Amino acid sequence: MTQQTWDEVGGLLPHDEFRAASEAIVANIEQVIEGKTATVRLALAVLLAEGHLLIEDVPGVGKTKLAKALARSIDCSVRRIQFTPDLLPSDVTGVSVYNQETHDFEFRPGAVFANLVVGDEINRASPKTQSALLECMEERQVTVDGVTYQLQTPFMVIATQNPIEMEGTYPLPEAQRDRFTARIAMGYPDAGAELAMLDGHGGTDPLNELRPVSDADTVRQLIATVRQVHVADAVKQYAVDLVTATREAPDLRLGASPRATLQLLRTARAVAALEGRDYVLPDDLQVLAVPVLAHRIIPTADAQLARRTTDAIVSELVHRLPLPHDRKRSPYDTRPAPNNGRGPYEPRRP
Amino acid sequence: MSGNRNLGLVAAGATLLAAAPLSAIFERWTWLIESAIAVAVVAGVAALTRALRAPLWGQVLGMLAGLVLALTWLFPSGSELLAVIPTPATLSHFGELVRGSVQDMRSYGVEVPDTDPLLFITVLGVGAVAVVVDLLAVGLRRPALAGLPMLAIYSVPVAVYVNSVPPVPFVIGAVGYLWLLGADNVDRVRRFGRRFTGDGRDVDVWEASPLAAAGRRLAVLGVAVAVLLPLVPVPGMSGSLLDTLTAGPGNGNGNGRNGQGGPPGRIDLFAALSGQLNQSEVADLVKVTTDEPDPFYLRFGVADDLEPDGFRVTNPSGRPVNRDMPDPAARGEGDVRQQRFRATVEITRDLTMPLLPIYSELAGTEDLNGNWLYDNDRQLVYSNRENSRGKRYSFEYVRSTYSPAALRTARPLPADHPLMQRRQTETPPVPEVEDLVKRLVRDKATEYDKVRAIYDYFSSDNGFSYRLSTEGGTSGKDIVDFLTNKVGFCQQYAAAMAWLVREAGIPARVAFGFTNGSNRNGNTFTLTNRNLHAWTEVYFDGMGWVPFDATPAYGVAGSTRSAWAPDTDAPDPVSDEPGAPNTPQTAEESPGAAGPDAADRDTDTGLSVGSDTPTEQAPVWPWWLAGSLALLLLLAVPALRRLTLRRRRGNRAATPAAASVPDVGVGPTDTPRVVVVGADADQARADAHAAWDELLDTLVDYRVRVDRTETPRSTADRLVRDTLSDHAEAVTAVRLLGRAEERARYARDPLAGQPLAPALRAVRGALAAGADRRTRLLAAFLPPSVLLRWRIALADTSARMVALTGRNRHRLLRWNPRRLLADRAAR
Repeated sequence: MTQQTWDEVGGLLPHDEFRAASEAIVANIEQVIEGKTATVRLALAVLLAEGHLLIEDVPGVGKTKLAKALARSIDCSVRRIQFTPDLLPSDVTGVSVYNQETHDFEFRPGAVFANLVVGDEINRASPKTQSALLECMEERQVTVDGVTYQLQTPFMVIATQNPIEMEGTYPLPEAQRDRFTARIAMGYPDAGAELAMLDGHGGTDPLNELRPVSDADTVRQLIATVRQVHVADAVKQYAVDLVTATREAPDLRLGASPRATLQLLRTARAVAALEGRDYVLPDDLQVLAVPVLAHRIIPTADAQLARRTTDAIVSELVHRLPLPHDRKRSPYDTRPAPNNGRGPYEPRRP
Repeated sequence: MSGNRNLGLVAAGATLLAAAPLSAIFERWTWLIESAIAVAVVAGVAALTRALRAPLWGQVLGMLAGLVLALTWLFPSGSELLAVIPTPATLSHFGELVRGSVQDMRSYGVEVPDTDPLLFITVLGVGAVAVVVDLLAVGLRRPALAGLPMLAIYSVPVAVYVNSVPPVPFVIGAVGYLWLLGADNVDRVRRFGRRFTGDGRDVDVWEASPLAAAGRRLAVLGVAVAVLLPLVPVPGMSGSLLDTLTAGPGNGNGNGRNGQGGPPGRIDLFAALSGQLNQSEVADLVKVTTDEPDPFYLRFGVADDLEPDGFRVTNPSGRPVNRDMPDPAARGEGDVRQQRFRATVEITRDLTMPLLPIYSELAGTEDLNGNWLYDNDRQLVYSNRENSRGKRYSFEYVRSTYSPAALRTARPLPADHPLMQRRQTETPPVPEVEDLVKRLVRDKATEYDKVRAIYDYFSSDNGFSYRLSTEGGTSGKDIVDFLTNKVGFCQQYAAAMAWLVREAGIPARVAFGFTNGSNRNGNTFTLTNRNLHAWTEVYFDGMGWVPFDATPAYGVAGSTRSAWAPDTDAPDPVSDEPGAPNTPQTAEESPGAAGPDAADRDTDTGLSVGSDTPTEQAPVWPWWLAGSLALLLLLAVPALRRLTLRRRRGNRAATPAAASVPDVGVGPTDTPRVVVVGADADQARADAHAAWDELLDTLVDYRVRVDRTETPRSTADRLVRDTLSDHAEAVTAVRLLGRAEERARYARDPLAGQPLAPALRAVRGALAAGADRRTRLLAAFLPPSVLLRWRIALADTSARMVALTGRNRHRLLRWNPRRLLADRAAR
């Protein structure tokens, strides 16, 4: 089967309806997660950018709750996988079992066959099991016993994990991390939000009362609309500059991949659309640089020794990188002039 | 040690180059070959002694010995051992050569032929300079000092040529000196250690060291500045090199160093005379008050050296005026009457020369410091440091009056008289003059009668008349012309008479000064450039210098005649009464002077020595005014540039594009997007960009940070947060500007229909309100944004130039033969 076309994804939504639909989802989730609007919107943006979300934070700050709230707000198929050290790849992807009635092998789909897959504590499974997600996340298909099964649209993996310093965790391999569009941290709630949480969660879990406010069709339409958002050449250039900067940064051993560029721009489209714009701003890229790029890159040993986190390195890059202009060079534009890379006094060896 | 060896060779070469000016005095080039041999021997001995690690004194002794050997070989007496070892006979031969050279110097004029004595003294001098240069440059490592002996060589042709020395040999000598300095400094840099390029590797042998390149560039810049700076004329000041170079011979500045306090002997008092003749402007130069009833001329200069090309001024020598003066009265004898008078002279600012006008003979001065010297023989007050401009001084003087009878007692000068020694009676041979004098003085018994005969010759009876518009000049040919045409002015009369008197064997010279003029007020005479005059002074034994004014009196306002030199054109011979100066024809009575104006128009204006005459010296203030205006204009350029930029952008921003684009977001399916005509969209984009550029420039002007990593939105946010928080209108305005620029850059449709100019004004107003006075002033008059743009443009250009020259250099270096050496060395 081929990649899905526009029509299969869904029709475009008018501005007002897009806004209403997206605001409804955000408001719904906020009933459960108080005071984290930016995080919630980012999570929704990743969904609309057809990406996957990795929520990483210390235990007890609401990672799973955010994942479940997002899943429940949308009326679509939701599966949950609790990653444990003894989880097997076939538990994730599915397995062929012998059906005695038909005397034939029959494929039993695994947990990934859903619109939303919530992978809890993903780094507690062994790398073998983690790797089972590689194909389905990038290619949106599962191959078992030589047969390839397409996944549905929308398809999103929302994984939570503890920081790798925690005990009993297996760090995700680079390839796996690169498949997550964004990694977000929940952070502790501020004092007011925590107080409100005590009131709200005192009796019952609000998650139980959460009703879907949207469905898979609407989400498909939302995604199609996001794809229509305009990206100016200058913004594309800026995205490329940003990713190139991570590859050239002296603090980094591994820079961001071209997939990162793609997903950065996609997410930026979604963020712009969620803000009611039909064009992407460099501001969107600046906001997304840390969530989208920081988990893909590997700092050098020196930077690690200096306890420089990838988040800090990326945000420093963002602050240092001048903005490209799509018109003739202005005096406030510090893009290096051509031929500036090579000093004038570099005689070649005879 | 290799550095020292190189430096020694450079020192020898530089010495030879510095000897280039000597080419101006020799006819042929033998001196160069022999000097080169001597210098080579000196350099070779120096290298040898250094190789043997001889101490410094050993090196010097070695070099001197080498020089002596070279001289012995070049100038043998015939009794040397092995042709190079000097013997006592050689030394006495050397002594003879030195004595002979003195003789030759006297007898030959430039250019001299190759005589042994002159060659010897030349080779000796150049060789000695080579020793000293080597000692200073290599031995003591003070190559800058080596310039002094080199300069000594240059002073030889300067002393020989009075007028000018060809400049090219001096340039060659200077190049040699610069070479020496450069070689020494390259050597110094080498001692720092190994040389590296900027990128951290060693410099190849064939490559120019970056440090050396920098040094060379600095040196070229320094020399260029030193050469070009004096050429720049400063408004209101004359005398810059350019003026001197461009001034023609006739416009008054041509006579050399006109009164900047230079040595007076260099002034050619005759020069520029003919150019001054028809001077239309009159300027007061001197005001003199004296208690003498009818003074003789005020006098400041004298030309007493007669060369084939005319009378010349010689260098005076004397003692400071504030010391005791020789008493002129002591010389008085017999019938010479002497009276003491007192005079005060005020010199205006228009007369600038290193000489002071006085009445002769000076007996004492006041108000003059020791910088002013008195030459008793020439009766000059002069200075090598100061000039006469604006001076005021008083002096006492002794007026001698002579009776013809007394003068007749004067005898011919004995041959051992100092004046005869100084060749005051010598004249170049001109047959016409000799014949004339022979005819005039025939049968005249006394010296005075001879002089009177010559003096009387210049009368209208003999056809002499006065006219200003004749050619100047006092050379033999000019004198003959004058004696033939019999038309001229004071210069020619004075010079011709002096020439003729000298021809008769009596010392004579030309004096310069002022007549008494036509503007007398009581005892005060106001003298102008029209009253400048020249006359003749004749020396009588026992009497001193006696003045004779041969110029027709009708041509000279304030002309004065004396008993011993009456007016030759007067109808009645004056009385022979001795003593009182006979002044029948002062300006008022002069036949040619109907009134002061007429007199002024006709008078002799020949000599405006060393003064900036009024026509030449335009008033200074227009220059200053023009200079200040130009400076102001120059300073206003950035502000004007900023203003035009702002106006242009303001015009853009003030005319919003006609089509209005709603600020729609997503969802073009249901609400059809308002299609904007391309031109209008482009227009709106350009407007937004212009407004944003203007905002950024305004920020730079008011010293608000401009961050190149910020988006328009974040810039606007920062401004709202940090700078404009108190101004609600400005907050809205800056957000509008940010949104407009953001949409112009990144959206499909630019923001249109919003007036950006008022927004800009609001932001500017808010920024100005928040800035301090200095920032506001700077923003208005010296906008940092414009300066920044220019600086960046300059930096870009220079970076491009550097890159270009660097590339070209590498291309050229490919052909550098030293690369081959490096390759061979590497193998």
